[in-house]
Amino acid sequence: MGEWRFAVNGEAVEVEAPGMRRLLDILREDLGLTGTKEGCGEGECGACTVLVDGAPVDSCLVPVCQVEGARIATVEGLATTSSEGPVLDRLQEAFLEMGGAQCGICTPGMLMAARSYLDSGGGPDEVAIREAIAGNLCRCTGYTKIVEAIAVAAGGPG
Amino acid sequence: MTERTGPIATHEEARGDDGTASPKDGHQRPWIRADGQAKATGQARYTADLAFPGLVHARLLLAGRAHARIRHLDTARARAVPGVLAVLTAADVPAGRYGSFDFILDRTLFATDVVRFEGEVVAAVAALTPEIATAAIGAIEVDYEDLPAILDVEAALEPGSPLVHEAIADYGHDPNIEPQGNLASRSTIVKGDAATAMAAAPIVVRERYVADMAHPVPIEPHSVTADWSGDRVTIWSSTQVPFYARTKTAEVLGIPEHRVRVVVSHLGGGFGGKCDFHFEAHVAALARACRRPVRLVLTRREEFIAPDKVTHAMIVDVATGVAEDGTILARTARIVLDSGAYASDTPVLGQIAAMMVAGPYRIPDVEIEALTVYTNRTPSGSVRAPTGPQSCWAVEQHHDVVAARVGLDPVEFRRRNLVRDGDEGPTRQKHEGDGAIQTLELAVERARAGGPLGPNEAIGVASGWWFSAPGPSGAFVRLESDGSGRIVTGAQENGTGAVMGLAILAAEELGMQPEQFAITYQDTDVGPYDGGSSGSQTTFNNGRAVVEAARDVRRQLLELAASTLEANVDDLELADGAVGVKGSPDRRVTIAELASTAHEGALLLARGSGQPPASPEHDASACVGRLGFESFASPTFFCHAARVSIDPATGVARATKVVAATDVGRVINATGAIGQVTGGVVMALGNATLEGTRYGDDGRQRNATLLDYKLLTSADAPDIEVVFVENPASNGGPHGAKGVGEPPIVPTAGAVANAIAAATGARVRRLPMTPERVWRAITAGDDGAGERNGPFGPVREAVAAGSGAAP
Repeated sequence: MGEWRFAVNGEAVEVEAPGMRRLLDILREDLGLTGTKEGCGEGECGACTVLVDGAPVDSCLVPVCQVEGARIATVEGLATTSSEGPVLDRLQEAFLEMGGAQCGICTPGMLMAARSYLDSGGGPDEVAIREAIAGNLCRCTGYTKIVEAIAVAAGGPG
Repeated sequence: MTERTGPIATHEEARGDDGTASPKDGHQRPWIRADGQAKATGQARYTADLAFPGLVHARLLLAGRAHARIRHLDTARARAVPGVLAVLTAADVPAGRYGSFDFILDRTLFATDVVRFEGEVVAAVAALTPEIATAAIGAIEVDYEDLPAILDVEAALEPGSPLVHEAIADYGHDPNIEPQGNLASRSTIVKGDAATAMAAAPIVVRERYVADMAHPVPIEPHSVTADWSGDRVTIWSSTQVPFYARTKTAEVLGIPEHRVRVVVSHLGGGFGGKCDFHFEAHVAALARACRRPVRLVLTRREEFIAPDKVTHAMIVDVATGVAEDGTILARTARIVLDSGAYASDTPVLGQIAAMMVAGPYRIPDVEIEALTVYTNRTPSGSVRAPTGPQSCWAVEQHHDVVAARVGLDPVEFRRRNLVRDGDEGPTRQKHEGDGAIQTLELAVERARAGGPLGPNEAIGVASGWWFSAPGPSGAFVRLESDGSGRIVTGAQENGTGAVMGLAILAAEELGMQPEQFAITYQDTDVGPYDGGSSGSQTTFNNGRAVVEAARDVRRQLLELAASTLEANVDDLELADGAVGVKGSPDRRVTIAELASTAHEGALLLARGSGQPPASPEHDASACVGRLGFESFASPTFFCHAARVSIDPATGVARATKVVAATDVGRVINATGAIGQVTGGVVMALGNATLEGTRYGDDGRQRNATLLDYKLLTSADAPDIEVVFVENPASNGGPHGAKGVGEPPIVPTAGAVANAIAAATGARVRRLPMTPERVWRAITAGDDGAGERNGPFGPVREAVAAGSGAAP
């Protein structure tokens, strides 16, 4: 057991866990943030993608000891709150408008990979977007609408 | 709205400069699904996300071997592991056998005496943590006597073959089939006298095509949580078919259905892999034994091998008699489907395969038989358009070969032979509309518009059909006191948006907006029966139920308004949220006002169950093994044209553009329909070039991980152009709609195959058409159908074993 301190969606957290416990389990089981999904547990599907200091990582492959002092961003941190309910960020809105979410199980990971792409200055170029989310599998959409949604959020024509 | 039965209306997704879809009518308006916000914020709870006080964790002991007799099974050490609350085996549950749709009662909940595939459940454990559960699984002692693994479907049919089910003769089964030895079922589709017609045909082309097994691969693995309250159990399950799962859970545990409630939280994709009944009863039995809520979540490896629902490995031996001018005269075929260790729903899928190998073509004489055969593999079943992609891939390549034989362009050959309005199907059902021809012309025209072809590049086409699935289905519609609406339905939302789209149909009937409706769904205690998200049936069946219920509420609203406005019902109109007297704009009352009044008296509440359309008239008198698919109800017609570039040095075939033209009868929800097609095409391209199960000689899967079983990624997916043709079905779903979800996966592989052959001159008769197979076809003329180790064996054991060794 060890004590680990890091920030999740801007909030400081401190957890007590074995150092090799997966970040995914820390988020889902210990912190109750079940928006991050597990699809394969082997770093292939991308459903568990979160941002660690801005970089997209498969949280199923990251032991908690590696995120000491890091800034973690999960899907729960994308929207802000208001008295009317969640206020979506542009990327989330674009996913809904374009039909980028079907079953939704890949959506949190897709959103985080896309958020990282946009935050690092990515634009509406289709090839670049497709490359940026190539680590995230989707079985429902065929990717078309996801790519279009990210392009729209990147300021491309909607 | 008025139904449109006029000339062909083509809805295409406009790919204009601004890249947006162009709304053309109410069904084409931009639409945001009601569950979208929850899914985009991470608030949507899937089964594995649900938290319960006192929750404990289940693990399954899977056989880990293809075929063996259990000599001794001892759970004492597992029970003694601290933190273990329950360990169950066959000895702890009722002993009865069951089977999918009662086709063959060949299954038990836990293995009894013999294990027949590597994913067979031998025991189940519930423990305080997943780690303890895993440790307990490891402490269960099983002494196996290995038996010969039966992996070759043709050898399995030989007299004297070892049997997968020694006691098959004692199993109960559907009276329309005759299980015998390793043969689970035999079905035929017969019209006229194919033998005589074939003997008289001037040209006969015979070929063999072989497809490997594949997997549905939903990104969410199966998960189930069960919790008892007294003598009632609630099961949260990642199932596509909650009512069926309830029926089977009740059956195998020996309790009445009303004491079983199945709830689906959000479902993370299914693609047929979550049809049928899987682990609900195992988890319910564990929860009953330890008097705690129990959760089971499969690992990805387990998701590959255990949920007895994979895409069939198939052999298609097909022959076509053809006239010199290219007119098809006769078709004979023998299809062998690998059912795996249990029959599952494969017997009926054999019949569907036979209909698919006939296809939407004018063929005067037909004789097609489909055999479903037991082996020691993971059981096959109703994965998205079951048997459709493999059958269509085989027969559409065959059609290109026949066309070449008579010197016809493949498109012209299809033009001459595809069915048109009034033509007869394989059992003389009468076809409606020219959708088969229209989709062919549209797909070819759009694909050819993409500029000149490069070297090693070609366009291939494949046409086909798929049935709609009429069935019982119910819904309630009610208006709340503020005039907002609620649909309560038994239908299951697997992600397609079909359930979310029901609001479009209700809103249309009630002069409201879809956003004004809430939907309560996928809870067997709440909604009326529905067949689940299978068979592309949600909009088709539940849509009719919702329309019927909404029309009843509409009638109630009008009667209430007639009283309020002191007018005759016939003089009223309902639109834009209010009822008004025609021609008197001042005399109107809003739905909200009516709803508020109603809540002081009679409720605005209605039920609908939409009478399922009858099967089209047909003649199946010469067919055997009839299980209900002797005709295709309201068939969807389609054609895909794929532009494919091949690297002859590596054998990599890459589709750069796919045009998918589909006659869906009527587009109800354009966003949803387009999403089904683009997703189907990409899944189909994976099946075409990448996705195949590799087995070792020991009958264990060698690529049961996403590292070794590759899906297409965003970077691999081509440009997809979606074109809809609307020929409303006279006896179909709402407004003439036909099934949408399954058809898009059917023809793509055939189109890719024909493009490969057109570009290289080499035909690949083995699916998936991996780079290695394409390369061998180009360089060695090996079409793959006779690959060593027999059908469905490993391509090269040395390669396979090195890349996916079992843990």
